[in-house]
Amino acid sequence: MKFLLVRQAAIIAALALLPAAGEAIYFRDKISWRSSIAPGEMVTVDQAGGWGDTAIWVDARPDDEFASDHVPGAISLNEDRWNELLPQFLAGWSPGKKVIVYCSSLSCNASREVAHRLRKEAQLSDVFVLEGGWEAWVKKNR
Amino acid sequence: MGEEEQMSQTPNLQRPMLNIQPLGGAATSNIKHRKSNIFWRILDFVLAGLFIFAGLSKICDLDHVMAHLQQLQFASALGDLRNLSLASPAEFANGIDNFKLLPWPVSVALAFYLPWLEIFCALGLVFRFLYRGALTLLIMLMLVFTLAITAAKVRGLDITCGCFGHASQHWSFPSHLATNLAILVGLLVLFFKATSRSRLRTAL
Repeated sequence: MKFLLVRQAAIIAALALLPAAGEAIYFRDKISWRSSIAPGEMVTVDQAGGWGDTAIWVDARPDDEFASDHVPGAISLNEDRWNELLPQFLAGWSPGKKVIVYCSSLSCNASREVAHRLRKEAQLSDVFVLEGGWEAWVKKNR
Repeated sequence: MGEEEQMSQTPNLQRPMLNIQPLGGAATSNIKHRKSNIFWRILDFVLAGLFIFAGLSKICDLDHVMAHLQQLQFASALGDLRNLSLASPAEFANGIDNFKLLPWPVSVALAFYLPWLEIFCALGLVFRFLYRGALTLLIMLMLVFTLAITAAKVRGLDITCGCFGHASQHWSFPSHLATNLAILVGLLVLFFKATSRSRLRTAL
């Protein structure tokens, strides 16, 4: 009985390996096996600070967290109210400006999602994710 | 004529009467059995549908399809299905990496592998092919997913789970946990049902 279960499970697990391997080969140039984000898409707090007025800060955290505190001059743009907030962000953006997106901490994903959507939907190119997010910015600046 | 005498003269008189009841009982039992079978098959299909959707939402970009479905524009959703594009595996790999439980290369490998495993197991449920093996794998997967989201919550991680692609992006922890537990219960019920049927067959 147990042997049968293990054998059946092993067959399914092995079958699933085939398309997965095919997909991995297909995407071999699109994903890095070494680092979670392509190095060119991340920016540290120090680097971002050096950009000064040539960069716009985008806060990808929920509204209540943005309301309680945020990077000075940051524009709120989260996925909960994306359609409402995107026009406001675009009104403040001008060509040539870099965009720095941050969320709460190193483990959050909202900044990556917002950066991804800005590149994909708004066709912006210079979009960066702040390494360590809001927590890292507070550590350096407060 | 005494009852005993009548029986000896027409020995088969009582037989049809005696046979009617068991036949009727068997028919009722068959209907009940069929109804019960239909119920278990529906449960198979519902759970399989969930896992096929979960797997596909990680492999393909279903955002447009989902948006049209949410607005009940079924024709547009079908149109979108014809122009499906592949989703970036990096998104799901990031989702796994957010749990901070595994090294990045393992997250990438799982991002490629898990969606297909979910789909193959779901197909096992639909076609009753390697059925109990598929159920065992799905139960194990759900246990691991549930433990992972609970561990993330306990560690205070602000996590976006890619369990159902973008559809599950804004789920709260309680709704995640409730969904996982409901699916797990369904799978366990199917597993024990399948095991008891198999034992019964062996016994017969």
